[in-house]
Amino acid sequence: MNVLLRNIVKVYEQFPALEIEEWSIKSGALWGLIGPNGAGKSTLSKIIGRLEAATAGEISYDGNPYTTQLQKEMTVVFQKPYLLRTTVWENIAYPLKIRGYGTKEIKNAVEDILYQMEIGPIMHQKSWTLSGGEAQKVALARALVFKPRLLILDEPTANIDPAAVAVMEKMIRRANEEAQITVLMVTHSLQQAKRLCKEVAFMHRGKIVEAGPTEQILYHPSSALTKKFVQGELLID
Amino acid sequence: MIGVNQVSQMWLGLKQALNLLFSLDQEVYKIIMLSLSVSLTATFISSIIGAPLGIFIGIKNFPFKRILVRLLYTMMSIPPVIAGLVVFLIISRKGPFGYLGLVYTPAAMIIAQSCLITPIIMGIVYNGTKERGSLIKALGKTLGASSGQAMLLLIRELRTNILSAVVTGYGRAVSEVGAVMIVGGNIKGHTRVMTTTIAMLQSMGDYSTAIAIGIVLLGISFLINSILYHFQQGA
Repeated sequence: MNVLLRNIVKVYEQFPALEIEEWSIKSGALWGLIGPNGAGKSTLSKIIGRLEAATAGEISYDGNPYTTQLQKEMTVVFQKPYLLRTTVWENIAYPLKIRGYGTKEIKNAVEDILYQMEIGPIMHQKSWTLSGGEAQKVALARALVFKPRLLILDEPTANIDPAAVAVMEKMIRRANEEAQITVLMVTHSLQQAKRLCKEVAFMHRGKIVEAGPTEQILYHPSSALTKKFVQGELLID
Repeated sequence: MIGVNQVSQMWLGLKQALNLLFSLDQEVYKIIMLSLSVSLTATFISSIIGAPLGIFIGIKNFPFKRILVRLLYTMMSIPPVIAGLVVFLIISRKGPFGYLGLVYTPAAMIIAQSCLITPIIMGIVYNGTKERGSLIKALGKTLGASSGQAMLLLIRELRTNILSAVVTGYGRAVSEVGAVMIVGGNIKGHTRVMTTTIAMLQSMGDYSTAIAIGIVLLGISFLINSILYHFQQGA
């Protein structure tokens, strides 16, 4: 899904939190949003995912304005996901059920993603009994099972174990490369951005300072601010 | 301190409670059935009104919401006699709805109890929704749920909280005496329920029968709460 942002402004109680003149995400891209705390990364991802409204500006999706139908083609996974108070299986099946899939289709799709995410053994477990890593895997599986065209991830691997991170990164890469899902991922980890993202946008004080191919931004940044950030000198805004 | 006399009254009451239950006394069964039907109907009506309104206030932002919530909390602790008095004045013969002839009928008791417990159910559901409602709503949106599907999801996710509200509302309704006494009049065979019977027996000095009815009331409450608790645990 192509996403184009123009003159996006977000103001919180007269404090400008976001100001993006123009930025585009091409279909099939895997973007990483990096920057210090308070840079506006999560706010931007929520605005693109339509969970927050921009104070001004416009976003087009495949050249068209947002419609409620479009919401069925994109999804957001949060750092602390909310899982339904039911089993892992029911959590993953939910997006398919509301889309009217048949029982057999649901069974096949859920079993497939459970296997790929290595969470088959916990499929009958209630959501509130899961560890942080398991919960994140279930949230990602639930987001991927209906094959959205735009996947927005807000620090999906923060505070989880390395093994779970590896599985999640594998799945995100596979979703992007094999299913051509456009991915926008907010991450604090430069290592993760290097491993996973094709392109990276560096944000500071609500603005995109620099955006481009990952290698260029992380190894040869043109902005002094980006350079400071990648060298670990600008962690908190 | 409880004296020997009081203990013997209670023991007598317990024996009498069993006798009452198994004596197949028509009047006792009528009182029990009326208590149950009035309280359960009031709980049902209040749940239908209070739960959706509680969810609505919990997830929507609108002008004067804070004032409304404060009013709601105040209404949650309204004394039953005041609720009964207001309902009585509205439905009494000279009141605005006097022509309906509701005063001293079970319908009046249902109205009074509904007025008392609707704010309780609404308030408890509002608190649960306030904490998790926006998260559930956001989740529904991110997974592509329509507004109707998102509302169903919200109700499903808040079911434990809604059931707690219903249990609390029922508890308040079945144990209430002041309001039903005012609007129902405690008329034998017509509006006499367990709580008004207990109050009447106490004033007549028939403590053991009052305790017996009280034990029956507790037993029925235990049964109904157990059923609701079962559903709550399943949820």
